[in-house]
Amino acid sequence: MGLPCGTHNYTYAQDMAIMRTKTHWALLIALLVLLFTFPLYGGGYWLGVANLIGITLIAAIGLNILLGYCGQLSIGHAGFIAVGAYTTAVLTNVFHLPFLVGLIAAGFIAGFIGLIFGIPSLRVKGFYLAIATIAAQFIIIWVINHLGITGGFMGIAVPQASIGGFVFDSEAKMFYLIMVIAVLCTFFAKNLARTRIGRAFVAVRDNDLAAEVMGVNLFYYKLLAFFIGCFLAGIAGALLAHWIGFMNTEQFTLSESILYIGMIIIGGLGTALGPIVGVIFIRLLQQVLTTIVLPLVEAAFPALPAGFTSGINPILFGVIIVLFLVLEPRGIAHRWTLFKAAYRLWPFSY
Amino acid sequence: MKGKRFLIVVGVLLLALTFAALPFIGACAPAPTAPTAPTAPTAPTAPKPEDQPLKYGMSICMTGVAAEKGSPMGHGKLDAIKYINDELGGVDGHPIIADWYDNAYNAAKAATIVKKLMDDGALFFTTNSSAMMSASMAIANSAGFSGIASFSSPPCTNPPMHIYAQMPDYGDDFAAFANYYMANIWKGTGKPKMALEILNNSTGYGARDAATCLADSLGIEIVATEEHTATTISEMDAMTRIKALKPDVLFISSTPAPTAVVIKNAYELGMYPGIVIGCAHASYTKALIDIAGAKVVEGVYGVFPTVNWGDDVPGMAKMTEYCQKYHARDYGNMDYITSWAEALIGAQILKLAVENCGYDALAKGDAAAWACVEKNGIQKLDYDVQGLHGPVKYTPGDNRLDKSVRVFVIKNGVITPVTGWIEAPRIPYEKYPDKFPWAVPK
Repeated sequence: MGLPCGTHNYTYAQDMAIMRTKTHWALLIALLVLLFTFPLYGGGYWLGVANLIGITLIAAIGLNILLGYCGQLSIGHAGFIAVGAYTTAVLTNVFHLPFLVGLIAAGFIAGFIGLIFGIPSLRVKGFYLAIATIAAQFIIIWVINHLGITGGFMGIAVPQASIGGFVFDSEAKMFYLIMVIAVLCTFFAKNLARTRIGRAFVAVRDNDLAAEVMGVNLFYYKLLAFFIGCFLAGIAGALLAHWIGFMNTEQFTLSESILYIGMIIIGGLGTALGPIVGVIFIRLLQQVLTTIVLPLVEAAFPALPAGFTSGINPILFGVIIVLFLVLEPRGIAHRWTLFKAAYRLWPFSY
Repeated sequence: MKGKRFLIVVGVLLLALTFAALPFIGACAPAPTAPTAPTAPTAPTAPKPEDQPLKYGMSICMTGVAAEKGSPMGHGKLDAIKYINDELGGVDGHPIIADWYDNAYNAAKAATIVKKLMDDGALFFTTNSSAMMSASMAIANSAGFSGIASFSSPPCTNPPMHIYAQMPDYGDDFAAFANYYMANIWKGTGKPKMALEILNNSTGYGARDAATCLADSLGIEIVATEEHTATTISEMDAMTRIKALKPDVLFISSTPAPTAVVIKNAYELGMYPGIVIGCAHASYTKALIDIAGAKVVEGVYGVFPTVNWGDDVPGMAKMTEYCQKYHARDYGNMDYITSWAEALIGAQILKLAVENCGYDALAKGDAAAWACVEKNGIQKLDYDVQGLHGPVKYTPGDNRLDKSVRVFVIKNGVITPVTGWIEAPRIPYEKYPDKFPWAVPK
């Protein structure tokens, strides 16, 4: 990691530290304080958006581990999120088990299902693996629709999350639950990248043949990547189920899977910051276009037929994504890295 | 470094000049005027109704995979709001603000949009898709924020809470047709045998679930349930199996193209004419006749919850005028009728709420206002919707506002009504908690 001018590492612990200077710690503490006091100044709608961002972030971190670190292209992530969502829905609604049991089970069952669909990764990779994971998306949704216990096509209600006697029955309470889990997942992903497992993932991504020659067990690490990625997707799905309150398979479409890939690409593949900025960028863009930009344009031209702005939303969304990929294909995280390097050296250029 | 020093110097100079100029700027201020004698206070004027708008929340699938239905529906309700404001003077003089957002048929967006509508102070909200209402209803129900789904599914209104269905769903189609069949067509003894051909999604499963609940009480024996996909090109295998069971009636809950395939296969197997065929409203449109051919579908029954374009009903003229003026491409689209009617119902709800609660109770758009709108608006509805679909009336314990459909038959290639509005009975899903867990109150 680039360090501020004049800061050097003299010990191994300093070299490995995530928060290296007092400024880093101060900024992190300030960010956490701002984050956990957000319910005090955010309204119901923006709390809802923050909750959606937190849930999406957990799933995106899982996909980043799978695709960004290990290089396994998966276009079925929404299917694994659905597994987690329906697992907790069935366990809490039908079997009346506690929320925590549903949450953990959602992660493990989604991870196990991910293991099954990760098996082809030993033989195929790249676009061929992508097709296998698209199959996962459709198979999972078909199974959910045809199982009676999940409510089938009609869907299933999900009770509010509760731990002990404490019920998460408001947006603010769900915010704290989701953000604590999201922060833990971010910390986990950041540290995973620095472990033996993380380095093995990167080796598999960069050149799986060379990694195998070096002694990295490809099958083990690829399956582990699928398990971890899908485990986090299951956790996100469980939180999504308890946040929305009603599950229907139309909430987990192929376009959602593709959107998740778009988020981590725009954020920056294979970085800890990438999923965070990518998710925030995409979700905020969706909300800002829908609730601020379009109503403003609609109000600015009252003489035009009502609803004329409906086409602007997908056009603007698509244009912004395309411009982004053309001008900064390595993601926002890379642009942030360049910016940090530039302001640390300013006014010098190198 | 030189540039930075230059900027600092210029900045300091500008700051110094600003401070130095302050006394001169103050000298340019206008001289204070002498205080005038206080005048007698005037009586406060009552606020005019046109300055007291009512917010009508809408979550519409204007874009996304359901835009084919959502877009004309959005146009219909927005045009109706324009008509109500421009020509009817709003609701008792209060203009309606259409507080709408595009959910793009995305469940996560729909969930945030319902929160936005609550924050905006909307008095209730509507959706035009059962999937989007499913994503919104838990949030709305827990906040006491009433919603109306133009197209709904049984989980939206069972158990009855704060979500209401504008029109009958696919289960109600089955119930209405089965009732009509038993009362007017079946002349035999004992139980008639019915086979179901259903689309493999909620359109088909709604009919299947209703049949599960009602068949026994109606005195019908369901002998077969066959599924098909939306892209099927032959149902010969399924129809051959059904033919072997010698059914008296076949009910099809699907979309036009697969329905045409099923009826053609029944015709080719010699089953039809012979058995009675009934269709749910999703397929019973002119498209069915065009695809299957008038000769094949002659005598096929069907149910539909709205009138047709051009029918002689009070609301048709204005709706046609606005549609052709602002969204001419939507003319002929039944979904436009559905959502125009929805806006009329919404206006009626607001009218009742204003009359029964007063504007002040609704002004804040908070939980108290929502409760007023629900108890004194929605639950006091008894409105004919200007004849555009069945009358809407709230019945305690049944959150379907319009429970009526009309039965039609195809005669000489034309869909011809054979009944007036007939009511579909409420389907007791809660009696089968193992099969329908969503119907059990929590």
